Amino acid sequence: MTFIVRQISRTADGREIIRPREFAQAELSIGRNTECDIHLPDLAVTLRHAVIRQLGPSRAEITASAGLPFDVDGRSTERAEIDAQRGANIRIGAHVIAVSREAERDAIVLTVERVGEVSDASEAKDEARAFSLAGSLPGKRTMAWSFIGLVLAVFLAWPLWSFYTNSQAADRDRPIAFHADEMWSSGKLSLVHAQLENNCKACHAQPGVAVRDTSCVACHDAVHDHADPRRLAAAMVQPGAGKQVQLAFKSAFNVPEGRCVDCHTEHEGATAMPVTAQKFCSDCHAQLKERLTDTTILNASDFGTDHPQFRPAVRTSAMPPVVQRLSLDARPIEDNGLKFPHNVHLSKTNGVARMAQTMQVDYGFGKSLACADCHVPDPSGTRFRPITMDQNCQMCHSLAFDRIDGTVRTLRHGDPKQVVADLRAFYRSTGPVRPINLGGNARRRPGDFATQATAARFSFASATRTGRADPAIRATFSEGGVCFECHKVIQPAQSGTGTFGIVPVKLPDRYMRKGWFDHAAHQTETCESCHAAPTSAIAGDLLLPKIESCRACHGGETAHKEVKSSCAMCHDFHRDDAAPLMVRNTRERGRRVDPSNELKAIRRDEG
Amino acid sequence: MAARGVQQLKQVTSQHEGFLRHAGFRWLKIALTVSLIAIVIYAFDDVQPRPNGGSAYGYFLGTVGLLLILWLTMLGVRKRAMTTGRWSLKAWTSAHVYLGLALIVIATLHTGFQFGWNVHTLAYALMMLVILSGIYGITAYSALPRALSNNRGETTQSQMLDNLRMIDRQLHDAAQPLEHAQAEIVRMSLDDDPFGGGAWARLTGNYPRCGTRRAQAAIRAYTGGGPNLGDNPLEKIDVLLERKEANLSRMRQHLRLKALLEVWLYIHVPLTFALIAALFAHVFAVFFYWG
Repeated sequence: MTFIVRQISRTADGREIIRPREFAQAELSIGRNTECDIHLPDLAVTLRHAVIRQLGPSRAEITASAGLPFDVDGRSTERAEIDAQRGANIRIGAHVIAVSREAERDAIVLTVERVGEVSDASEAKDEARAFSLAGSLPGKRTMAWSFIGLVLAVFLAWPLWSFYTNSQAADRDRPIAFHADEMWSSGKLSLVHAQLENNCKACHAQPGVAVRDTSCVACHDAVHDHADPRRLAAAMVQPGAGKQVQLAFKSAFNVPEGRCVDCHTEHEGATAMPVTAQKFCSDCHAQLKERLTDTTILNASDFGTDHPQFRPAVRTSAMPPVVQRLSLDARPIEDNGLKFPHNVHLSKTNGVARMAQTMQVDYGFGKSLACADCHVPDPSGTRFRPITMDQNCQMCHSLAFDRIDGTVRTLRHGDPKQVVADLRAFYRSTGPVRPINLGGNARRRPGDFATQATAARFSFASATRTGRADPAIRATFSEGGVCFECHKVIQPAQSGTGTFGIVPVKLPDRYMRKGWFDHAAHQTETCESCHAAPTSAIAGDLLLPKIESCRACHGGETAHKEVKSSCAMCHDFHRDDAAPLMVRNTRERGRRVDPSNELKAIRRDEG
Repeated sequence: MAARGVQQLKQVTSQHEGFLRHAGFRWLKIALTVSLIAIVIYAFDDVQPRPNGGSAYGYFLGTVGLLLILWLTMLGVRKRAMTTGRWSLKAWTSAHVYLGLALIVIATLHTGFQFGWNVHTLAYALMMLVILSGIYGITAYSALPRALSNNRGETTQSQMLDNLRMIDRQLHDAAQPLEHAQAEIVRMSLDDDPFGGGAWARLTGNYPRCGTRRAQAAIRAYTGGGPNLGDNPLEKIDVLLERKEANLSRMRQHLRLKALLEVWLYIHVPLTFALIAALFAHVFAVFFYWG
């Protein structure tokens, strides 16, 4: 029953020193206490940690004494039997006791060696690394590669996957959800295109191909060109050096010039589609006539400083009809077929005013007529309802000619043949009213001369009345007659045989079809501040204000005027009968006041 | 003679100028000029309806910015080969710093001040983070080494560590006679890794679970009650723990300053590569969903 204990320690340069001791006893104590047979100066070991007992020639048993476990061959235990022939490693704290057998001396050998350091600080360290932050953080290289992987996976691979699954999907509309390729969007779409936010493919039809006009006209099928594309191209300013470089880049990158999106840029944020800036118009129109020599369009670049006088479409001849665009500077006279003095109707002192006063209750006129009494705005407020005989004239200019039992008969307006027929019928069908003293029941007395005279006049009148129709018709259509008063009458080709005609009246609904004027937007002004109606004596006076009148308030886009007015305020690039985009945008924003209230106010003021 | 003396003095001082002052702030001037030109062109470039990266000038600035970023990244390659002269490493670093700062202007103008939750703004944000970490790095390099040297006193890093080891050995020896429970307390200090605590502890110098401090508190629970008779091993251990803590705190301050000096590169370098990846995705997206 022998134990041989070999304690190994190391010199500073690493050389082993082995101190063997032999114990001829069956039991050895192990612990930190100096009295133990195997003394382990190790704070992890209790004063008396374990006891090792020999069971047979090569068998031993180790038991914990203080209830603290130890490791045998890596397994934590409080008791273990050991076959010394096979060997075993017991680890207690920082020490390892290797168990083996030495057959020659029939002893169990315990080789004791300290393997752990005294403290964590004493353990061997790579100092350069320990003192640097590198020990506590993942390496820069590792992080760099992980970030690259992460960014490419999330922001490249995922959107690509999203795009291709979408292009292979059968139905056109993508479900409303998050799609990874939206991470590639450079900004929100404009409000009108907000519903396409989901669907990149609607415009970006093919990867790597710039957005083509075909994508736009797929929906906008009614938009027409500004002008004939060839003339448009000819009107363009020759590109400068910078622009030529741009064009070279564009053609190199397969981006055609002159696409819709050149002007209608998208992904600029969820705002209204911006109106065309003045620059876009003046680029071509400032010197258009120099490049497009045969054009009738005059040069213009800024409303305040460089814009031709207005050229309304004026009907210069009613019969035969001729319409010309004439500059207001040429003082054009309009021939609309009507005789109408504005001054007479707007006078505050004459018979018209007096008549208006008598009709105050029936028609709501003031002390005299006002513009708004005849010119009633249309529902849009932009322009006015057409002037008609029924609505605007006949309450004063009556066409009544006969009364039968309280029913007033009127001449048919707008139908000269009917007028003639009615007048002829009037003289033919009804004789003079029978005088009351010719009553049938009266007893005739001799010497009643008065009755005889009445009877004689009545029978004469009855016999001759039909012959009065022609003079009456002539009187109606001639000077002093009811038609002649307002209309230009076409005389019959042969006096007495032909029929009278009336030159048709044509009042234009718009004088300036190339531009846009919104009356509702000018309710801060009175009518007279622009239209010189109170002093106009003939219907031929064109009461349109000249550009100078507009320029009192309106200047160009950058002018220091009350109202900055770019081209887009009156003109649209894709012109149609709707208001220009700028006007439409203003209305959508609800800046306009209710026009009906304003008109009532004007009427009150003028009444 | 006097004039020559002044000249010599100038030469001597110029040899010690840092990369920031290199060649009389040459690259600062170049960067300022470039930024100014970029701003002036931006101001006069009438882009409708508003400036954006997709305009001609926007593409130009984007290309310049991209090439600049790639060139700035090359400093990592360049610094591994040190040369002198016109294209010395110092000149290169000076250019790196000032052109990197000019990138703030170039890239911001490239965005046209349009930002969103997209890959494009991601690239911009990453670039700004890289630049900010770079600015921090320059500040740290100018301020921290002095603090580091003051804190360390005359000792080196190895000496600091050796001191700790010596105290640990003394602690270990002094604790030999102790009961197991008390020995365990000493082991709390011995087993505590002075380099442990992770990056956050390094940067803040805050070690709430410091084994030495806990051990000392526990030991004082034993020794606090009675008088010091001079034969209690716990008293000696208390003194040793006190010394260890003083040493530890100096070393931890050293670690903190070193961490503050190094940490920017752990942001600057990996984020640079994240930025290059994001730039790739950004350019790819632009060409994929092409204008």
